[in-house]
Amino acid sequence: MAGEKTIVCRCEEVTLETIVDTIEQYSCSSREVKLRTRAGMGYCGGRTCRNVIDRIVAATNGEPIKDELQLSYRSPIRPATFEVLGGGHENES
Amino acid sequence: MRMRVDHHPVLGKQTDRKQVTIFFNGKPYDAYEGDTIASAMMAQGVYALRQHEVSGNARGVYCNIGHCYECRVKVEDRKVVRACLTTVYHGMEIDSLSGFSEGNE
Repeated sequence: MAGEKTIVCRCEEVTLETIVDTIEQYSCSSREVKLRTRAGMGYCGGRTCRNVIDRIVAATNGEPIKDELQLSYRSPIRPATFEVLGGGHENES
Repeated sequence: MRMRVDHHPVLGKQTDRKQVTIFFNGKPYDAYEGDTIASAMMAQGVYALRQHEVSGNARGVYCNIGHCYECRVKVEDRKVVRACLTTVYHGMEIDSLSGFSEGNE
């Protein structure tokens, strides 16, 4: 694979090396990788690395990518300030 | 403007552009109306818009389509926006979100 220091999850700065090690050690699913390494938990909500994590898990475990959604979309689906939640003026955040 | 395309092969010469001044972390920068904060700063050679909250690594524009939130900056008081989606206006005050040390360009 690419250089081990390649960053997979930009928001949390989780490297490919960390993810692959975690999978090899625990032979875990995408969800478990996310829980163990925080990859996919960042500010962007997994937009950037969700698919990459799925592919790495599938490749490392040697299984086809599962059909159903591995890393579900968690609210808030985009960052929201308390002001927005509380109905203040239009703060896009 | 080192990075600007002044004569575009398709769009032709960029003539009717109104120059504005924006402030990033207190320093003035030139920009044109219609620029986004991201493109205006990039044209001025400023790529680091914020620092990673944990490691302090410089972060800036990444997806440029409002998808990844890497370019989030603070505008005026406490208004957090994505630099790649926000157009500039004259006298716009922009600040980095976390404690931004100058040397980390």
